[in-house]
Amino acid sequence: MNNAPHILVIDDELQIQRAIRTILTEKGFKVTTASRGEEGLTLAAMNEPDIIILDLGLPDMDGVEVCTRLREWTLCPIIILSVRDSERDKVAALDKGADDYLTKPFGIEELLARVRVALRHSTNRQGTQSKVIHAGLLMIDLAWHIVKCGDEEIKLTATEYKLLAYLAANHGRVLTHQNILTNVWDPADANHTEYLRVYMRQLRKKLEVNPERPQFLLTEPGVGYRFIADE
Amino acid sequence: MTMRGSTLISRSSQYLLAIGFIALVTAILFSLREALDTTLVALLYLIPLGLITAYWGLGPGITSALVTFLTFNYFFIKPYYTFAVHRSTDIVILIIFLIVAIVISQLVGRMQSGLAAATAHEREATQLYELSTALAGLQDGLTIAKILAKQVQDVSQGETVELNITGTQSFAFRLPESNQLTRPPEWVVPIQVARGILGEIRLWRAAPALTSSEKRLLQTFANQGALALERARLAQAESRARVLEESDRLKSAILSSVSHELRTPLSTIKAAASSLRSNDVNWDSAARPELIAAIDDEADHLNMLVGNLLDMSRIESGVLKPKREWNILSEIVGSVLARMKHLAEEHRIEVDMPESLPLIPVDYVQMEQVFTNLVSNSVKYAPEKSMISMRAFVEGDSIHAVVSNQGPQVPQEHLERIFDKFFRITAADRVTGTGLGLSICKGIIEAHGGRLWAENIPDGLAFNFTLPLLWEGVSPQKLPMDTETE
Repeated sequence: MNNAPHILVIDDELQIQRAIRTILTEKGFKVTTASRGEEGLTLAAMNEPDIIILDLGLPDMDGVEVCTRLREWTLCPIIILSVRDSERDKVAALDKGADDYLTKPFGIEELLARVRVALRHSTNRQGTQSKVIHAGLLMIDLAWHIVKCGDEEIKLTATEYKLLAYLAANHGRVLTHQNILTNVWDPADANHTEYLRVYMRQLRKKLEVNPERPQFLLTEPGVGYRFIADE
Repeated sequence: MTMRGSTLISRSSQYLLAIGFIALVTAILFSLREALDTTLVALLYLIPLGLITAYWGLGPGITSALVTFLTFNYFFIKPYYTFAVHRSTDIVILIIFLIVAIVISQLVGRMQSGLAAATAHEREATQLYELSTALAGLQDGLTIAKILAKQVQDVSQGETVELNITGTQSFAFRLPESNQLTRPPEWVVPIQVARGILGEIRLWRAAPALTSSEKRLLQTFANQGALALERARLAQAESRARVLEESDRLKSAILSSVSHELRTPLSTIKAAASSLRSNDVNWDSAARPELIAAIDDEADHLNMLVGNLLDMSRIESGVLKPKREWNILSEIVGSVLARMKHLAEEHRIEVDMPESLPLIPVDYVQMEQVFTNLVSNSVKYAPEKSMISMRAFVEGDSIHAVVSNQGPQVPQEHLERIFDKFFRITAADRVTGTGLGLSICKGIIEAHGGRLWAENIPDGLAFNFTLPLLWEGVSPQKLPMDTETE
């Protein structure tokens, strides 16, 4: 089992540690746990895990701070655990380089889905990023700038395409408003959430079967957006 | 000109007037000397003496009596123009005259000063009455102090009156406000109540010095003020106590509601988990997935309850600050409906939110909460298969949203109260929930500067709310146009 992906869990609640460890071990992962931020940083440096699951409410240091310190030297995917109503912290951690988040209490299916996305991204970072993304009937060819629904090509404006391409390239990951605005528009537009809202509505109208109940272009309340592609 | 100066002048002029009056009477009597008997002259002399004492007081009266004694002797008792007396009857007349004159003067004078004292007392009583009437019913310390200062100023005719109230609500008040005096005040009266000194009244009045009766009056004023201030403080303490009592009542309502509501899902979870753990349920039994689903659902329910409680306490303590962003209402509604899919599958849901609706500056998560609570309230009370409809339109510079259902109507007198915490029309055990959902909605909408209300519609109940379209007075920025297609 030496090839089993290694997950580091940094959370001070022992019950949560126990539950996550049991389930992830069952699913064939190698799990290490830490209860404090400093301990987590040390273990991360020693073991170089494939994924880090980080709780934002740690006793010794701010979770956002842990995130920042990890990002100084590793690209390892970080999944944040947080309690409800802490959108501000969540967004701060995501902007500091965390990849995804889960709100406590969470279902284990959600956790596994996040872990799968994170693992794929950590492989992508090693250079095998796919250039064609499928989501239901949608096909997005990032190399040729083509978007198709079934056989029909869909006409997008330049900005719409840029936005879709950015979301699709990061499919499965949550992208904060600020992140999207900075990358698709301009760092100077990072606060113009209204651009994002309007273009997202246009994209949904063109791509989704029911724009009010999107299947692929999902809203992450108070945080940002996420594109769901086929696995 | 000071009061003291004018009294002095009037005093000496009274003496002069008295003597002048006596001189006049003497002159008249002198002209009639031959026709009048000595005894009659003595009697006639008593009239001006009485008048003088009555008008100008005891001092001028006695003085006039002595003067009259001399003029009577000098002009009317033989030998004339000497103070010598020859006839023994004249001596008797003179002595009786002197005694009677002094006795009359004293009697009249005493009556006079008694009258003056009575008048002064009456004035003091009136002033006190005015003060206590002005202070009656006042609940605000500053107003009381202002009135007290004004009255002290009126009564004392001081240059400046200053009130210093110490303690929790300390303040100083000065009349007239612009007067800044550097010298120490001439008179300081403490405002004292049973539990200590509330402050003091300072009075600047260089001259005339305060008389003891003025001091006494000011002290009485200070006491009245102290009583009024103390009464105001007690009234405030009482209203604080009422607020505390109210919040205490609320807390125990929360506790009883919470313990009931939290225990229900907990009991289900405990029962399901323990039966799964024991060997009572076979691995392949059909009950197994059902029990597991129950645990999952009830855990979600529990999570929602805790969330509601948190929201409520946040609204109560005023820390619920919307994190506004420009949002599209239909996007919020869409994500709420997506999440409530399984909850709302027993009802038909209709959404009418035209694309032309402008962006609104709201907190996405909080507005999700509002729609979630309104829809789940409708789901709870409206019959299965009935219609829940949501629509929104622009109305002036706000957006008006309506969530309506075909559930039971609410009696007119309860339409407002359904937004109160823990208010329920139905018995608590018939429908689950904390009784907080609607009051959370109200709290959120009001924090956004909007208004939420319920109304009965022909076939059910409608929740209406408005939200301002402007954010700090502005509409969203026009988007950079982008029409070229790839």
